[in-house]
Amino acid sequence: MKSFTIFLLLLISGSIFSQKINCTCTLKGFVHDQEKHLPIVGAVLYLKGTNISVFTDSRGVYQFNNLCQGEYILVCKALSFDVTELKINLQDVHNQDIDLLNDDEHLQEVVVSSQKTSITNKSVLSGKSLEETRGQSLGEALKNISGVTTLQTGSFVQKPVINGMHSNRVIILNNGIRQEGQQWGSEHAPEIDPFVAKKLTVIKGAAGLRYGSDAIGGMVMVEPENLPDSAKIHGEINVVGFSNGLQRVGSGIIEGGLSGIQGFGWRVQGTYKRGGNISTATYNLVNTGIQERNFSVGVGLNKIHFGTDFFYSYFDTQIGVFMGSHIGNIQDLQRAISNGKPNDAYTPAKYSEVIERPNQDVSHHLLKVKSFLNSETFGKLTFVGAYQYNWRLEYDVPRGNRSLNTLNFKLDTYSAELILDHLPIAQLFNGSVGVNIQYQQNFSSSFELKKPLISTTLLPNYQTFNFGIFVNERFLSHQWEGEFGLRYDLRNLEAYSMKIGGILQQNKFDFSNFSGALGAKYHHTEMWESNINFGLVWRSPSVNELFTDGIHHGSASYEKGDLNLVPEIAQNLSIGTIYKSKKLSLELNAYLKNIQNFIYLKPRIQNDTLQNVLTVRGAFPAFDYTQVDARFWGVDLTFTYNPSEHFELTSKLSMVRVKDTRNNSFMVNIPSDRIDNSLQYNFKKRKAYISLNQQFIARQNRVEFNSDFLSPPNEYILLSIRSGLNFSNLSIGLTISNLLNKSYREYLNRFRYFSDDMGRNISVRINYKF
Amino acid sequence: MKKLIIFAIVLGLSFSGCKKDEPAPVQDNEFISTMRLTFTEGTNKLVYAIKDLDGDGGKAPVIEVIKLLPNKTYSLTTEFLDETKNPVVNLTSEIKAESAEHLIVFEPNSTNLMTVTRDDKDSRNFEVGLTATAKTSAALNGTMKVTLKHQPEVSGMPTKNGTASVGTTDFEGIFTVEVK
Repeated sequence: MKSFTIFLLLLISGSIFSQKINCTCTLKGFVHDQEKHLPIVGAVLYLKGTNISVFTDSRGVYQFNNLCQGEYILVCKALSFDVTELKINLQDVHNQDIDLLNDDEHLQEVVVSSQKTSITNKSVLSGKSLEETRGQSLGEALKNISGVTTLQTGSFVQKPVINGMHSNRVIILNNGIRQEGQQWGSEHAPEIDPFVAKKLTVIKGAAGLRYGSDAIGGMVMVEPENLPDSAKIHGEINVVGFSNGLQRVGSGIIEGGLSGIQGFGWRVQGTYKRGGNISTATYNLVNTGIQERNFSVGVGLNKIHFGTDFFYSYFDTQIGVFMGSHIGNIQDLQRAISNGKPNDAYTPAKYSEVIERPNQDVSHHLLKVKSFLNSETFGKLTFVGAYQYNWRLEYDVPRGNRSLNTLNFKLDTYSAELILDHLPIAQLFNGSVGVNIQYQQNFSSSFELKKPLISTTLLPNYQTFNFGIFVNERFLSHQWEGEFGLRYDLRNLEAYSMKIGGILQQNKFDFSNFSGALGAKYHHTEMWESNINFGLVWRSPSVNELFTDGIHHGSASYEKGDLNLVPEIAQNLSIGTIYKSKKLSLELNAYLKNIQNFIYLKPRIQNDTLQNVLTVRGAFPAFDYTQVDARFWGVDLTFTYNPSEHFELTSKLSMVRVKDTRNNSFMVNIPSDRIDNSLQYNFKKRKAYISLNQQFIARQNRVEFNSDFLSPPNEYILLSIRSGLNFSNLSIGLTISNLLNKSYREYLNRFRYFSDDMGRNISVRINYKF
Repeated sequence: MKKLIIFAIVLGLSFSGCKKDEPAPVQDNEFISTMRLTFTEGTNKLVYAIKDLDGDGGKAPVIEVIKLLPNKTYSLTTEFLDETKNPVVNLTSEIKAESAEHLIVFEPNSTNLMTVTRDDKDSRNFEVGLTATAKTSAALNGTMKVTLKHQPEVSGMPTKNGTASVGTTDFEGIFTVEVK
């Protein structure tokens, strides 16, 4: 309405002065990033109500020529910045510099919002809603975004599931670097400290061709704040305590610069987490403690034309695996299931923090260097180099107190990328081209890649080489935004395994393919926009899918890989619409993904009966890595209504439907439908609020016949209370989750065979900024 | 700036250096390929085994048929071996040393086929089953399931309670039995 009035005014003013106007006026200026005062290349500027638009050049300069005299509304838009509008009264030559604000600055109070200037479906967790998740794992925190659930093994191993897909189909970017751990495993949580992040972003659907083609499910971005550029020392201290498991978390950040060196900034951050046995609604679970020690260091020098940042992070965790889930064969599993409650030996009344066997011991190092060069002749050139080292040990319970680890994976990843954000082409296209290379080697046993020493390692020793080249172009106009990307990948894999009896085996694989993405967004009004995205992406089979051959003890099943698997190819289509007004906001995202040759661990069924494989521990049902055609479709919806400034009502709904279209059957481990409702009351003072949340999780009724030992658990409703209070530098929060201490089991938690999920958990958060 | 980088590197190295005692990579010696039952009656010694020398998957385990005489009392010893190694690893003594954490369960499909009573006891007076007595009666064909349960301590507390309800199954096999 407002814009319409302005438009009308413009029309009127235009016609009144049309007699005597001079049409040789110039409007020009710089566009800068407000925070760091760096020039913004490729920002689009247009005059509202006209068809005239220009881009900024490599120095951030824009210029309109031959404009007529009059009043204009100048609009400036750039990717990942807020849209800025200015009223200009143009007489002759007018200089107008513009400072754009990075859009996360504005998200402090916003719950989960989509960003304005990206075509893909982007959901962001930051500000207050990120603070509420402090102390939780990355997966748990991401659950606050509609359409994201987690695949769990107990309470602390949580992997994000985006629109029904997880593990190798979701890319996690840790400070701009693809996280490379043993992410194929359903009980391997991402090795990331969420306290590093100022912002967690989830991109649904095929996204980020820049980072690889395999994000069929989507992408998670863990983004820290830019390094500071003032010498003043700032920092933040977070302390969180949880009643369940008496878990304590402390985390601190301290940052600053050096007086005398403009553009120099540094940051040191660290987190410590420790907790003991957790309890369900009615009993404790033995050996479910956790310890986490993380830290990161960032240092950089950034000028207008060049800059370099170094970043190093270290993540280290020990997680106890609930002893009652430790089974040897299918009878053990069936006994656990039929008991309904773990044996008394596994539910001690006494609290303990000792992490015994079985447990996981994982560490992850990331070292990153990023440099850029800003040139007026070719644009901005960025180099990113990174080294990651992931070391995962899994300890079983051996006889004779041996210090034997059952699994020991060491994964080194070296990666480099070179990206050119070129100058606008023909005043129209703005984008980037780049190459990535990555070399990886994995040791499952021995210190020599080609001479594995153990046959019982699940994965062979292997090395991979990946090469990718991509181009991504964007187009901006007043109401339209367009984007297209193209990528070509080469992947080479060499694996060295040892068969039982000491026979060495070597296998080589080569994969290559094109992938592409196309997107458009239309701004209907200031408050309403819609987007459509299409992606054609592929993922080559991962090492576990090719090589697994053995009993998966966690799930009491025999799993067999297939060396003849071919890459899966996904067609992703998504449409979304976002409406935001002062009182009402609505975000809707619908998607359809057809995945050809979807790699799926399918139960081996013949004549309607599940086939078993006989071992020395009895018979185990057999599952094969098979290729099927899968169709995923679903809807995510977020709705917010503010009837008054005090009340806020939010509803989130997500549903996903999955079918194996080749065999016309349902598939396993797909999240069930869920609805979250919350009613929040905002007090007038101290940004205080209290909210009551209700979460309804439906029963998953669509599962593949004969594929599971236990039918999916019943639907459940959980209530929780969240609250917060602010005193200038200090903010305090109190959350009670599972308020009614309900006994429930979640379908996507593997421990549903053995025990209930976590009972009531009261947490207190304190955040102090200085 | 240099100082900071050095600080970061030293900090990184010190953290990575002081972690985890990594044992040398060796073939998993927890593996059990063979369960061997020895029935002795006087000088008559009968040995039957279940063997799976190629690990899980691949070929199915080889199971020998137990052939016993009716109305006899046999002393029965059970052994567990890893025959994929050279020399063969005998895990029986380890199980014996940790008898308070192990239980062998004999389950003939009918009591008319055979009754098996465990003769050995652990430190907490629970039966173990490495030595036992097997009594046959009338001529009959059937099966017997033999299970080795590992029942390790939890938080320093023993879990073994004389039944198969706790712990993990380390070996399980079903023999065909002919009493004639």
